[in-house]
Amino acid sequence: MFFGRPRKRALRIYFATDIHGSDRCFRKFLAAAESYEADALVLGGDIAGKGLVPIRSHNGTLSAQVRGEAVTVPREEEGRLRAEINRLGFYSLVTDDTNIERLESEPAHLERAFERAIVEQIEGWCRLAEERLAPRVRCIITPGNDDPKAIDSVLKAAPRIESPEAEICELGPILMASCGDVTPTPWNTEREYPEEELARRLEAILDGAPPASKMVVNFHCPPYGSGLDFAAELDPQLRPVIRGGRPSIVPVGSKAVRDVVKRYQPVVGLHGHIHESKGAQKIGSTMCLNPGSDYSADVLRGAIVDFAQDGSYIDFLFTTG
Amino acid sequence: MASTSAPMGGRAATGQGLFTRQSSGLVRELGVPAATGIALASVAVVNTFINFNAGLVSFDKAEMTLPLLLGAAIWLVAMFAYKYLLEAIPRAGGEYVYLSRIISPALGAMAGISICIAFTYILAANANFTAAYTPFMLTALGAALNSSAISDAAGNVTSQGAVATISVVMLLVVGAVSLVSIRRLAQVILVLVGIQLLAFLVLGWLLVTHSHQDFVNALASFSNHPGAYNDIIAAAQKDNIPLGFSIGASLTAVPFMVLNYNGVLYAYYVGGELKRPGRTYLYASVISIALLVVVWLGVWLLMRSTVGLDFMQSQAKLGATDPAAYGAITSLQSSAGGLGYGLILSGDPISKILIGIAVPSAELAVDLAFVAVVTRVMFALAFDRLLPISLAKISERNAIPTNAIIVAVVIGILFAILAAFVNLSNIVANLALFVALIIVAGGVAATALPYRRPDLIMRPGETALPRVAGIPVPSLWGAATTVLAAIVVVLIITHPSVFGSFTVTSVGALVIVLLAGPVIYLAARQMRLSRSSIDLRLAMRELPPE
Repeated sequence: MFFGRPRKRALRIYFATDIHGSDRCFRKFLAAAESYEADALVLGGDIAGKGLVPIRSHNGTLSAQVRGEAVTVPREEEGRLRAEINRLGFYSLVTDDTNIERLESEPAHLERAFERAIVEQIEGWCRLAEERLAPRVRCIITPGNDDPKAIDSVLKAAPRIESPEAEICELGPILMASCGDVTPTPWNTEREYPEEELARRLEAILDGAPPASKMVVNFHCPPYGSGLDFAAELDPQLRPVIRGGRPSIVPVGSKAVRDVVKRYQPVVGLHGHIHESKGAQKIGSTMCLNPGSDYSADVLRGAIVDFAQDGSYIDFLFTTG
Repeated sequence: MASTSAPMGGRAATGQGLFTRQSSGLVRELGVPAATGIALASVAVVNTFINFNAGLVSFDKAEMTLPLLLGAAIWLVAMFAYKYLLEAIPRAGGEYVYLSRIISPALGAMAGISICIAFTYILAANANFTAAYTPFMLTALGAALNSSAISDAAGNVTSQGAVATISVVMLLVVGAVSLVSIRRLAQVILVLVGIQLLAFLVLGWLLVTHSHQDFVNALASFSNHPGAYNDIIAAAQKDNIPLGFSIGASLTAVPFMVLNYNGVLYAYYVGGELKRPGRTYLYASVISIALLVVVWLGVWLLMRSTVGLDFMQSQAKLGATDPAAYGAITSLQSSAGGLGYGLILSGDPISKILIGIAVPSAELAVDLAFVAVVTRVMFALAFDRLLPISLAKISERNAIPTNAIIVAVVIGILFAILAAFVNLSNIVANLALFVALIIVAGGVAATALPYRRPDLIMRPGETALPRVAGIPVPSLWGAATTVLAAIVVVLIITHPSVFGSFTVTSVGALVIVLLAGPVIYLAARQMRLSRSSIDLRLAMRELPPE
């Protein structure tokens, strides 16, 4: 038992997801290639951050609320302050009181500010990937429902990044189909579709694969009822629903994803979206994985997945780095 | 692991200088109050009354003021070392994750597995202690409620069978309560800690509002023995029991008090569930240490003033070494220490009830906290595949490691039954040494952190860590912790009569517990390599962020 021989590995993927603007997690993601000896890095969506901290510029000083506390620094320390804010997964914007009032009163203005900040960060990350990744490592980043569509073109244009959203890409012995679309959420985010429409979109991608090919699906939304999709039920005010004194936990994945996984039986399903539902579950012969996310604590959760020369799946290992 | 779904911002809005966009999100659950509750519960606040007494039994001419202050100072130093570790690796698992990520997976496994075994035994020991303390509780409740039936029942719960039954019932209660979410569990723990603090306040109030002469009279009345106070001191002098104060004896008692504070930093074991881990941990630990120093030192000084050091030393030592002579003077349980003083001074039933239930509340809180601690270490070990992966399974409903909780409680029950019928004292004699070694392990990990993994603590934009005299600050805290803990280890080893003797059985048990981790790690790694292309060591690699 101790001295058997495992199948030889032909491809190692490192998969992570839902880092939500965390610069530190993205840097860890890039470092995973060397640390885990991965041939390909796959970041499965929801890479955009959620918060924008306005930094007030006044009389040579900068002031902002960081972790709920008022912080004032000399202008020379702008870089350090912005890095500290970014470490929390938030964007920062040096501005004045007039613009802050505008951000508060004009949703469209705030949306544009967010989009600029997100695109700026993704462009920076693409440059970082170019600097840091070894030539042998492939880096695939696909969007998720929390990512504005403006990032798609940025990712596609980056020389060191591949972003095969809604496409099939060849990855050594396997083919990988990617889709960041999800079913409707209480937050009405981008890339949400009803189950029927999502099913059509997923089928359209998978039907493009040659018959009998070994597939991996990189679908941001997990399969419904798979155990990878449990989250607290929310009421219309987005508060957790309490039943019997406890938060009600319900499956929130997609039936369309579950059905296509059952029908097409890819070797592995890579999912995210539900941060608190880390787990592995077999659906038929498909090993479905959701490594979960703990980006707010600078922790990068991920999964190492190995494939043999014939494209079959060998093993996986969840990591916390 | 322990996050609930909660909207970070359903729509664009401002709040405390932060705009949020439409997106889903998570928050970690435990804030400062909950983390403080876990830290305080791990200490068993009220047990100090009993531990003061145990200290006076063990150390001739000891006075507890100095040990209380120095013990707290040592934990304050250790707190900063653990703060750096938690900030670098904000996850559940304590010394296991720190050592495995910073120094060596085998060393981490040694800490992790041995903590699981030792802390599960402590669960059982606490349950047994509660069972042994039940007669005092029934006496207090009987007195409070004027019920001779309850008081008489105290004599019926001292058999081995009764101790085993009470222990098992307590651990079943602990298991059931542990199955709620960590946040709810922390609330239960906080209530139990509150009961203990209330008992402290009641005792403090009784000591403040009664003079020394009141105590002397109350003891005489309780014992139906006029002159009981002076007779106990006289009996001690007759037995040549040394009384008074010696700095040397007090310094020797420092390790004892360090162990008394043990647990005050244990919030780091649930590091994966803390909001803003470094800050929450620091605040919770500072509050816990400060609260313990104020409460413990305050009550100790009050006891010195109202009861008198000579009497406390006489009562403790005479009760332990010459129970016949002690019993001939009073029926007050000597090992109850300050709680006993409170019982005889209290005139109202509420105070008596509080004093009676304080220790069971403390032990219940300790066991709840220790279940949280030991199951998070099991979770971390299972997550890395050193224990069966089912132990890392998290309940979707409560976000807790249900299987790990069940395993910990079942093993705890087996230990408790065994300890009720078999004398395990030879086997576990070096438990105090083990606890001190764990602090050394934390200190070593913090010392090594800036050298082995500087990337984990470097802030964005920094190119070098802050240093003092050329040594990185985290290493200084780590080294200080290591040295202080090593001194405690030496004092423990050189005082076997107090902290546990070294026999083939006790040392053998300690060695087996320590070696179990590396053996399991090597076996698990080899087994995995035989069927998989993924080396287990990869699970223990911390990613460099810079």
